[in-house]
Amino acid sequence: MDAEIAQKTWELENNIVPMDTPPSGGAARTKTDPSADAIFYYDEAAQTKFQQEKPWVNDPHFFKRVKISALALLKMVVHARSGGTIEVMGLMQGKTDGDAIIVMDAFALPVEGTETRVNAQADAYEYMVDYSQTNKQAGRLENVVGWYHSHPGYGCWLSGIDVSTQMLNQQFQEPFLAVVIDPTRTVSAGKVDIGAFRTYPEGYKPPDDPISEYQTIPLNKIEDFGVHCKQYYSLDITYFKSCLDSHLLDLLWNKYWVNTLSSSPLLGNGDYVAGQISDLAEKLEQAENHLSHSRFGPLVTPTQRKKDEESQLAKITRDSAKITVEQVHGLMSQVIKDILFNSVQQSNRSNTEPSGPEPMIES
Amino acid sequence: MAESSSSGLTFKLHPLVMVNISDHYSRVKSQMNPPIAAHNATATTTATNNNNNNGAEAVETASSSSSSSSASSPRVFGCVIGVQRGRTVEIFNSFELLYDPETHSLERGFLEKKQELYKKVFPHFYILGWYSTGSDAQESDMTIHKALMDINESPVYVLLNPVINPAQKDLPITIYESELHVIDGVPQLIFVSSSYTIETVEAERISVDHVAHLKPSDGGSAATQLAAHLTGIHSAIKMLNSRIRVLHHYLLAMQKGEIPCENSLLRQVSSLLRRLPAVESGKFQDDFLMEYNDTLLITYLAVLTNCSSTMNELVDKFNTAYDRHSRRGGGGRTAFF
Repeated sequence: MDAEIAQKTWELENNIVPMDTPPSGGAARTKTDPSADAIFYYDEAAQTKFQQEKPWVNDPHFFKRVKISALALLKMVVHARSGGTIEVMGLMQGKTDGDAIIVMDAFALPVEGTETRVNAQADAYEYMVDYSQTNKQAGRLENVVGWYHSHPGYGCWLSGIDVSTQMLNQQFQEPFLAVVIDPTRTVSAGKVDIGAFRTYPEGYKPPDDPISEYQTIPLNKIEDFGVHCKQYYSLDITYFKSCLDSHLLDLLWNKYWVNTLSSSPLLGNGDYVAGQISDLAEKLEQAENHLSHSRFGPLVTPTQRKKDEESQLAKITRDSAKITVEQVHGLMSQVIKDILFNSVQQSNRSNTEPSGPEPMIES
Repeated sequence: MAESSSSGLTFKLHPLVMVNISDHYSRVKSQMNPPIAAHNATATTTATNNNNNNGAEAVETASSSSSSSSASSPRVFGCVIGVQRGRTVEIFNSFELLYDPETHSLERGFLEKKQELYKKVFPHFYILGWYSTGSDAQESDMTIHKALMDINESPVYVLLNPVINPAQKDLPITIYESELHVIDGVPQLIFVSSSYTIETVEAERISVDHVAHLKPSDGGSAATQLAAHLTGIHSAIKMLNSRIRVLHHYLLAMQKGEIPCENSLLRQVSSLLRRLPAVESGKFQDDFLMEYNDTLLITYLAVLTNCSSTMNELVDKFNTAYDRHSRRGGGGRTAFF
């Protein structure tokens, strides 16, 4: 029963809204709690009307939220992970709902995106058109509403190329959304690393600095990140699933618990962690060099630079703490499994009293 | 029709396929039964939309398009793809197909087109079979099954039961194979159900967990992360515990004689128990302790980094405090620029 209570608590905290509330009358389309699976309904008339009105033209910050369906998330993460260390990309289909963009489905594009190609999407236009047509026939009526790609191992943000691609998209294919997934960090941290972004139009200055969650960026990418990080803003992501989905996923747990117990994050992520640590070491050296310079020239060093060094070191500390925490979690799982399954001695004596999964004989 | 299969193939199903089928079904169902408010406002457009869709979907729901309020269960159809290695059939993904109600078959041209598209992105996957929704396999399904046999000589049929039954403990998915059985002297193909396991990759597991079991979506504090991680393991161990209890009670009952002794089950339980301890060898202990030490080392390094950073801040504050006294006047620094 604790599992149920825990589930309800987490559900509240995470804004996951299962679609089984009863129909609520006229304003059903614009409320955040749609009626039974109504979010799956594609209302063509309302969508075309919204397209013609174009309320986003006057407000660069118009779209604030993203709702991603369980299916789209699963597909995107699996596709991103299957690419290994190569960036992969795909498109998302969905619709808009007031100031939220709803992503219903995603599909992969047969394109190898590298950071140096400006418009990898151009190669896949034929594929896109074919796929969209077949989908419409099969009953998937939504339009393409965004694109996603993966940044394996270096975090969820938009690089310079990504920013220019997205700005182009936002000029000609509105409403359009950019989503970035990091499959390596997902697996390492045990939670999905995903970000949704929209760029500001050229020359627009955001009224206030948006507070974004801190994430560690490897040294070789940090310049690219810093130059462009003010040109886009991130949107909140929530997830939704249908009643049938919830039902299936609940039942799935009956078979799935085995996988949860048997997963060993330490084994799978050795390379990535080693890379992180060496990157951290480089950053530390850099910080040390700056510090030693400032020691010899206290007269000409502005106080500002001192502050930067300190925050640099603080960042490094935070990164190292994060890596360690993940490692410790992995180790905890290993130790628990060891105690559960290994601390048993073969003995010819008969069974002791029933006590669940404790080892038969304590070693 | 549904006896158990004897072909010896093991089936592995990925959760993505289940979510795919469920989404396809919810979509079609929702397009057919639009929410009441939207339905009233846009009655004519939805009628046209529904007519367009219905032409492609199962025939029994065509009549209920514009006036339905009760839930009619449309049947959806599609194809499953994956990999077959030896005797193991692993189903990775799926996509929708068009069903032609007159000939009771799936449109071949559409299937081939879709297959091409999917081959480009997933070159390793082959068509393994097809799926549908419903509560039981039907006679007409056999015609579809036979039609697919020229692509794959023994296709699988995945059936999802979309009726939500809260008392259900098992996944409402059955996998059928076709076998040639002699019934009344006539060899016929019938469906036999097979067992399957759920297979997953780590990334899939995490995202399924994320959507189903509600891990915290953002960083949170270290405490919430720890709590989430341990809660996951705790739930898994509870499941293990309950399963073992069930086995234990069953064995006790057998011992008391309430239930007839089933030797095959006893053999299985005995082999299971004999597998503990799971790994016992010097080499394992060495590796395990090495991993343990590595993690401790990382923790040590992180703590050292933390300490040196704090020290650095302290020293800087100290210097700033002292420097101000030794410079000419207060705020002497800014005068230089």
